[in-house]
Amino acid sequence: MGEQQELVTITIDGREVSVPPGTLLWEAARQLDIEIPIYCYHPKMDPLGACRMCFVEVKGMPKPMTACTTTVTPNMVVSTDSPMVKKSRRGTLEFLLINHPLDCPICDKGGECDLQDFTLRHGPGGTRFDLYKRHYVKPIAVSDRVLLDRERCIACQRCVRFCQDVAMENGLVMMERGFKTEVGVEEDAPFDSIFSGNVVEMCPVGALTAKSYRFVTRPWELKRTASVCGQCSVGCNVLVDVRVNKVLRQYSRTNDSIDEGFLCDRGRWNTELVNSPQRLRTPLIRRNGALEPATWEEALQLVAQRLRAVASTHGASAIGGIGSTHTTNEEAYLFQKLLRAGLGTNNVDHFHGRFPAMERNGLPWVWTDSIAGLEKASHIVLLGTDTYNRQPIVDLRIRRAIRKGTRVYVVTPEPSRLDRLAAGTIRYNEGQTGAVSRALLSAVLSEPLTRGDFATKRAASVAALRDSLAHTNTEALAAFAGADATALRALAREIAQADGAVLLYDEMATRESTGETLAQDVLQLALLTDNFGRPGAGTGPLMEDNNSLGARDMGLLPDQLPGYRMLADGAALAQAWGMTLPDTAGMDYDAMLAGGVRALYVMGADPARHATPEQLAQLEALDLLVVQELFLTETAKRATVVLPAVAYMEKDGTFTNTERAVQVVRRAMQELPGARADWQILIGVANALGLGWRYGSPLEVLAEIGRLVPLYAGISRRGLGAEGVRWPFSAGESDATGKPTLVGSPHLTWTMVEHGVTGNGDGAEPALPRAHGEQG
Amino acid sequence: MSETPGTTPANNSLPLGPTPRFLTRNFGVPGIDRIEVYRQHGGYESLAKALTQFEPDALVEEVKKSGLRGRGGAGFATGMKWGFLPKDNPKPRYLCVNADESEPGTFKDRVMIMEVCPHLLVEGTIISSFATKVHHAFIYVRGELPLAERQMARAVREAYDAGLLGKNILGSGFDLDITVHRGAGAYICGEESALLESLEGKRGYPRLKPPFPAVVGLYSSPTVINNVETIATVPAVVEHGADVYAAYGTEKSKGTRLYCLSGHVERPGNYELPLGVPLRTLIEDYGGGVRGGRQVKAVVPGGSSTPFLKPSQLDTPLDYESVAAAGSMLGSAGVIVLDDQTCIVGAVLRMTEFYRDESCGKCTPCREGTFWLVQLLERLEAGHGKESDIPLLADICDNIFGRSFCPLGDAATMSIVSSIKLFYNEYLHHVTAHGCLVGPRARGVAVGAGANV
Repeated sequence: MGEQQELVTITIDGREVSVPPGTLLWEAARQLDIEIPIYCYHPKMDPLGACRMCFVEVKGMPKPMTACTTTVTPNMVVSTDSPMVKKSRRGTLEFLLINHPLDCPICDKGGECDLQDFTLRHGPGGTRFDLYKRHYVKPIAVSDRVLLDRERCIACQRCVRFCQDVAMENGLVMMERGFKTEVGVEEDAPFDSIFSGNVVEMCPVGALTAKSYRFVTRPWELKRTASVCGQCSVGCNVLVDVRVNKVLRQYSRTNDSIDEGFLCDRGRWNTELVNSPQRLRTPLIRRNGALEPATWEEALQLVAQRLRAVASTHGASAIGGIGSTHTTNEEAYLFQKLLRAGLGTNNVDHFHGRFPAMERNGLPWVWTDSIAGLEKASHIVLLGTDTYNRQPIVDLRIRRAIRKGTRVYVVTPEPSRLDRLAAGTIRYNEGQTGAVSRALLSAVLSEPLTRGDFATKRAASVAALRDSLAHTNTEALAAFAGADATALRALAREIAQADGAVLLYDEMATRESTGETLAQDVLQLALLTDNFGRPGAGTGPLMEDNNSLGARDMGLLPDQLPGYRMLADGAALAQAWGMTLPDTAGMDYDAMLAGGVRALYVMGADPARHATPEQLAQLEALDLLVVQELFLTETAKRATVVLPAVAYMEKDGTFTNTERAVQVVRRAMQELPGARADWQILIGVANALGLGWRYGSPLEVLAEIGRLVPLYAGISRRGLGAEGVRWPFSAGESDATGKPTLVGSPHLTWTMVEHGVTGNGDGAEPALPRAHGEQG
Repeated sequence: MSETPGTTPANNSLPLGPTPRFLTRNFGVPGIDRIEVYRQHGGYESLAKALTQFEPDALVEEVKKSGLRGRGGAGFATGMKWGFLPKDNPKPRYLCVNADESEPGTFKDRVMIMEVCPHLLVEGTIISSFATKVHHAFIYVRGELPLAERQMARAVREAYDAGLLGKNILGSGFDLDITVHRGAGAYICGEESALLESLEGKRGYPRLKPPFPAVVGLYSSPTVINNVETIATVPAVVEHGADVYAAYGTEKSKGTRLYCLSGHVERPGNYELPLGVPLRTLIEDYGGGVRGGRQVKAVVPGGSSTPFLKPSQLDTPLDYESVAAAGSMLGSAGVIVLDDQTCIVGAVLRMTEFYRDESCGKCTPCREGTFWLVQLLERLEAGHGKESDIPLLADICDNIFGRSFCPLGDAATMSIVSSIKLFYNEYLHHVTAHGCLVGPRARGVAVGAGANV
């Protein structure tokens, strides 16, 4: 290390360790694998020094010191097992246990309880306390989801500090004092935070437990699988905790670049998806107007036969496929391959936001920075988002940024829970996110507020863009949107002067009436104000679902092949697949639902749910509707054939989150009997069609993706490691075992935007920005 | 030290006589709590002198020279404390007057200063703020002292009306605002960092140190925190000069203190006496001796957080060093006298209950330890204890002392540890005779020590 000379060297238990100045003794000891027991300290929160458990002896100090509050000083000599330390720790544990009930046998935390574990390792074998313990009614509900047992509480304040300092939400507070101290909730400030479950996980004892997990299992009966949460596009790292093929909870698996070890309540406790008794357990075939159980063989043969029939009667272009934003990358890839190579049509799409079509190999519509980068931003502007409900752990990271001084502007139609912490809020009429964003862009162009490399080098494009917006102005656009023009102009100026601004919009806001130009306008806003290409600056959509970005990456698009290759560049793919590929763009989602196809193959999507009456009628009029699903959804109810699929916890694969991190999803439990993973179903259909697919596992599909999809070139499960890698990635050095690793990209530059990240750009024609109106 | 208690050989040559009244000169003057009367008796003249004849730094030097030490309990040199304020911090500075007087046996700040002569504290606060270049001072009054708070609030109001607070005080160009804040009633808020938390509107929990308040204090700004008596002494230092003030007391403990005498004495009350006055002089000459002609059993010299002194230590001079040498602490100078009919276990139980009830609950040893100690003492006092409870008490104290987050935990152990040391047999008597050794609930025959029954 180059900064070696800046390190401080200390001795702990006779072993030397060198750490940066300011490191806590607890952390320094951890680097030597020396466990110092802690209750109140939590690495993601400021030290408190309250529990008095982490005592160590520092040479020259008459009293024991707390390792969680003492920072290293040069040549410090520390002992973690001197007689003084042992007695002090025993003393603390004895104190903690005098009022602790002995209900470990029925405590949900038993078996994963720090009080049990530290008592085993550091505590007294017995107690000298033979008097009267405190008693409380137990448990009491502190929220709809969390129960509090005050007798078990050791008053470490982790939960209270999480609520106040990390979540910055109403919630748990300390009440009373001294031995009457208890955790509680103020009457007028309910503990209704979406982050509430974290207090259950970080409670070192069984004081805070989950209602849904009460008396359900012992922790050692759980099968814990390291995976990725599939509830939203953030992709928090989790341990899926399963007991006898039933998911009981997800626990955090700290990934500092994404979740920092925190989960939202949806991720933690929404087990309904997989545990529901409503799950489909057998294929269904429509006979005489009603869906009836069938065998897999019958169902797959029927699908193949009917697809062939439609193709021979109406041609391949009469077949379309709507893929999923929930399934794995591997499944999305196989889905479009089945449509393109197997059935010969580009009628492939998924339910997604409205993004302008890509030209050549420009950068796709993504968040150019990262979740961790939010902390480095001086400004965060949220356009039409609801991060608290839709991407909660991104919201939590925004809150950390706010604590560090970042100014956040919430520009949304509805009030949000971030408003209270925001530097400013701007409200507008529902559906006008596009107009508001254009008002900001107009202010930047007209004042003008442009700055930086991009604005200079692309002066001609900037001028063209300015001309194209000459017919309107910020005030007119703001009035149209029902927003405060003065506030928008002030915000535009702040963005233009920011050290680093991150401008985020919700993917679904692009579907609003004024959303057609939203993505492009916000991108231009970031480029023209030089908020781009470095950590803490950038822009992009916050995606809707866990694999919304992966679905796009894998080519669930009618006009682009996997990795955003143009259809015209499909020769290599066609050769590898051994098929000729259709070279004209297919129908998009809306066109397919408007009666453009006779047969529709739907995997993991529910178009009927947000369909117009006309679209519903079209769905019902189809010659063939095939649906792969977990439940009998509105779409499945109208299907010809329903193929029961499994949830992400029941299969292997990869997801790509909203900040481009490709992460490994692992099978945590057996598939529901009768149901099959989507990749298995697709192989079944392909082989019923006589395509002879031979994939034995998602790993083999991933290997093919690594070979054929430039954006994912070289990908491997091992290369993704435990915490995933953000694309575009390149090959890194080999790891200790000689296996290849991947190196991700924390942020994207504007040259990548123009020429793409796959190395195919010719560097001549900038793909962006385009003046509005240049193309439809 | 002098041989004759209370009279030093140099008495006659002292500038203000043997017992100067730096703080209590006007005690007893009718209406001294009103600004007109206070001014008629020389009030705010020290302020005028400070503002016209001193530069702030010179005032700090003057206070350093006076040898004035903190009167809250720790006895830290006041001038030095002021000198710790960082010179180049761009944030505002604050002065907090700690008027959260809650130490059992201590009633000087409340009675003598805030209730009787509040303008003395206002004047001291203005001078101290000028010296430390503070423009906003806070007086944090203990929640249980409504009268003191009302008196202070009125005095501050009167001072504003008289142009002694606000902008350009007495034409000096110096601006100061004083905010009087009444706490919610918590002993822990007398701990300076808990006081700051409380003042900021948070729970009264002590803060981690470092950083110390001088650097990161109120609202994360440099902050001086001084006890009421300390601040109220500053006008006298200005008026008489550091040399006169330092002529009193002992070599290291200068000036006078307000001794709060309570317990089993004929005339309990506040007495302003030079530091170093022997304990016996205070009790016998000023307090009129032990009530009913009884004997002294033990004395708490500095509030309930200080170890007991024995009757054989009655000649200990009451200054910081001598009391420390005797194995206790001068603390808040709250002198509590226990007579020979006092059950020591009962007295210790009462004190320990106080610490149990006032523990803020932040740290484990203090929160749980005081809870356990009280239960053990209750059992012993009631005559149901075991002999092993006595060493257990001592060991629990050992696990609290030096292990708790702030000094409150340490304080809770003082009376227990020292009483077991001094009165082991009385503890033992409670076990063997199942009752008290002395007092109304005395039971059985005394073991070992003299039978008082």
